[in-house]
Amino acid sequence: MTFFKKPKKLKQEAAPVHIEEKGVNTENKTEEKTTIDDVLSQVKKPFGSTDDLVTQIIELPGDESKLAFLYIESIIDKQLVQSQIINPVFEISHENVQESFDQMMNLALKKQTDFTKAQSLLLQSNTLVFTEDTSCFYSLATPVKTERDITEPDNETIIRGAHDGFIESLSINLALIRKRLKTPKLTIKYLRVGNETHTTIALLYVDNIANMDYVKEVERRIRSIEADAVYTPGNIEESIEDKPFSFFPQILSTERPDRVAANLMEGRIALVYDTSPTAHVMPVNFFTFYQSVDDYNKRWIIGSFFRSIRLFSFFIAMGLPAVYIAIVSFHFEVIPFGLILLIKSSLEDIPYPPLFEALLMELTIELIREASIRLPTRIGSTIAIVGGLVIGDAVVKAGLVSNLMIIVVAITAIAAYIVPSNEMSAAVRILRFPFMIAAATMGFLGIIFGIMILLFHLCRLYTFGAPYFAPLAPFKWKDFKDAIIRVPFWMMNRRPQDLQTQQESLDNQTRKWDKS
Amino acid sequence: MSSQSITHRQLFFLIFQTQIGVGVLSLPYSLFVKAKTDGWISLMLAGIFIQFSLLAIWKLCNRFPKSTIFDILPKIMGKPLGFVFNFIYTLHFAFISILILALYNQVVGKWILFDTPHWVIIFIMAFTGVYFITSTPREMARFFTIVTPLLLILLGLILYAYTDLHLLYIFPVGSVGVSNIIRSSSDAMVSLLGFDVALVFLAYTSGASNKKLKVLSFASLSVTLIYLFIVVTTYMYFNPLEIVIVPEPVLYMLKAFSFTVIERTDLIFLSIWIISVATSFISYLYVASKGLQTLFKLKKHESAAPFIALFCFLIAIIPNEKLEILTWNKYISMTSLLFSGIAPIFLLLIAVIRKKQEKGTASS
Repeated sequence: MTFFKKPKKLKQEAAPVHIEEKGVNTENKTEEKTTIDDVLSQVKKPFGSTDDLVTQIIELPGDESKLAFLYIESIIDKQLVQSQIINPVFEISHENVQESFDQMMNLALKKQTDFTKAQSLLLQSNTLVFTEDTSCFYSLATPVKTERDITEPDNETIIRGAHDGFIESLSINLALIRKRLKTPKLTIKYLRVGNETHTTIALLYVDNIANMDYVKEVERRIRSIEADAVYTPGNIEESIEDKPFSFFPQILSTERPDRVAANLMEGRIALVYDTSPTAHVMPVNFFTFYQSVDDYNKRWIIGSFFRSIRLFSFFIAMGLPAVYIAIVSFHFEVIPFGLILLIKSSLEDIPYPPLFEALLMELTIELIREASIRLPTRIGSTIAIVGGLVIGDAVVKAGLVSNLMIIVVAITAIAAYIVPSNEMSAAVRILRFPFMIAAATMGFLGIIFGIMILLFHLCRLYTFGAPYFAPLAPFKWKDFKDAIIRVPFWMMNRRPQDLQTQQESLDNQTRKWDKS
Repeated sequence: MSSQSITHRQLFFLIFQTQIGVGVLSLPYSLFVKAKTDGWISLMLAGIFIQFSLLAIWKLCNRFPKSTIFDILPKIMGKPLGFVFNFIYTLHFAFISILILALYNQVVGKWILFDTPHWVIIFIMAFTGVYFITSTPREMARFFTIVTPLLLILLGLILYAYTDLHLLYIFPVGSVGVSNIIRSSSDAMVSLLGFDVALVFLAYTSGASNKKLKVLSFASLSVTLIYLFIVVTTYMYFNPLEIVIVPEPVLYMLKAFSFTVIERTDLIFLSIWIISVATSFISYLYVASKGLQTLFKLKKHESAAPFIALFCFLIAIIPNEKLEILTWNKYISMTSLLFSGIAPIFLLLIAVIRKKQEKGTASS
């Protein structure tokens, strides 16, 4: 936490200090000579009394001149400083000291003349070297390696395909994408947000594919963010999405570099963050959330089947409890004769209305889910057994909830988790509550009006200017290829139209051998 | 191209979905009252007549591109008279919305929700309408497009009737005489209403003008054919003596079908039918709100939306008996015939005689 607090002082004090510093610099050429200690104290001043800011002063072997190393201990690699800076200094031959010293400094280090940058360089894991020449200083990036290994993201596992995922380091995340898209057209723009946190965001797009209007729009929105602290990608997402009051996620969050790379090639824009394994993809449409990398590694018929199952699950997860409530409380006559006795016998002894039953069970499932997220996996499975099996069984035996309701709720819960995107799954789970209430008050009529409002909401939703419900609304038959089904690779010869890419056609002639 | 403009295809679905509406359920019955089993001929006549109305509407809008009927009226009649006619047209469109609400309420109250207070049923439709019309024609057209495939389910359900048809029921053809058939076609016109929203939506359509006419007449033709299919099917399904006692023949027909997974297909039909009704209602409400916008010189039609919906809601809850609704139906049908079917032809004549047209359009 202290790390976050510290820069605050920097902001308050930095400005006057720099002005002074410049004054000192210009003065020293004309009047008396500033010493290395003056410079050091000026640079160190904004940091106050933090203990991890270390100054190391050594005297050069030949003459009397001094060298000062300045770094923040906690974020630099000491061994690197030793081997890259301190050791070479001592290896300088004793003959022409000054010359070889200058040579060494210029080769290994970066010469900086702008003293205003000194603090931010320090905060970015640089080691600063000050010499007797107070008009300039040298810097070298010596970041400490604190990254974890590249692992497969737990929340987006797939069966077949690459098993690497983003981690908490921007440079490695970018490397993972660059590794997949070895094209000079891949453009990366660094943007800084947060006056105090200086969070770095990388904006990625493929130059000759992505629509520049969307790129500009994304950049404009990010640049307009004015905040002291931006901690998580969620902050950014909330700041730049179109309709913050909508239930639906309007930016795709993923931890998979292959997913980001594929979306970039489709003409979308990605945001990759430092200190977070989450990357954002935009502009996306509703169906992007239902695509999984797995689809493309399966045979296409099977991939299409699972894709459509997933889309179907949207309706089940959202509507099944509502339809059940509507049928048992309003439209008993819809149930075929054979089933009616079964349902009647199951419902007869339940003391309260179906809506209450459904709400009770849906909330229980949400409770179990929320509880098992935070628990270690070993306890988590216990919770699942206690929550799922014991409560489910006991609640029926106690006569609180009907058998059928348990079945409905269970199917709904499973359907909600089929969505490959966690955000979309959450949206669907929330949406079923209004539907259940609508069904309990108006039966089918309520559901129909709910569906109409929902569909229209999707129709009028735009993300960064691109229609959200494409290719259904606006209806683009040709874009169904990768939305509702997944056609074979060799048939995907166009990029989605709603992205208005610079190159709509894709060169995808992978089965040329078959033609001859 | 402004963000409000719509394509030809979107225009098609706007008109198509507006035309298909409340009428589906009762059309076979209302045609049968006057024309007996020749009702389908009346329907075809009405379909042909509508093509002429559409031609007039298209011609009229063609003289004033990018203008809605509410902009056109003051231009061809002068400001004061134009204002009066704008008022009349706004009221006319509002009353069609009200009629749709009342008929929808009647069917829903009779078939789905027996005990729910009528005002609730009307309220939910009216205020869903507000949400829809605070958007642009383009977004509405997108919605109308994606709900259109649902009609296939409706037609599929009706197709099931072909397992039990009696072809002889529609014979003899032409038994009631030409005059009855023609008189009955005015009833058919009412069910086919919806083409008149083109008076407003044509202004938003971009693209070739000739193609617009094709789209309009094709939309109307499709609706006429679908209605013809429904009417002929019900006439062949029910004995002529039966139809007289079933005011919603389509529903009674579907009620008889039951499948192993679903018992009452009519409820499924009705649920989808409500979407069709909603699309008609939304179109008319949008057009009426546009009228209100012109009358009060509002910047956006969005600000007029809640008021027009409230107005429709308050009027639509007044009639509470079946006979009252029938009387309303009769009068509003007559005015609709006048303002939607015949008036465009006269308006076009006035425009031609007074040589009014927007500069830059080719005179024809």
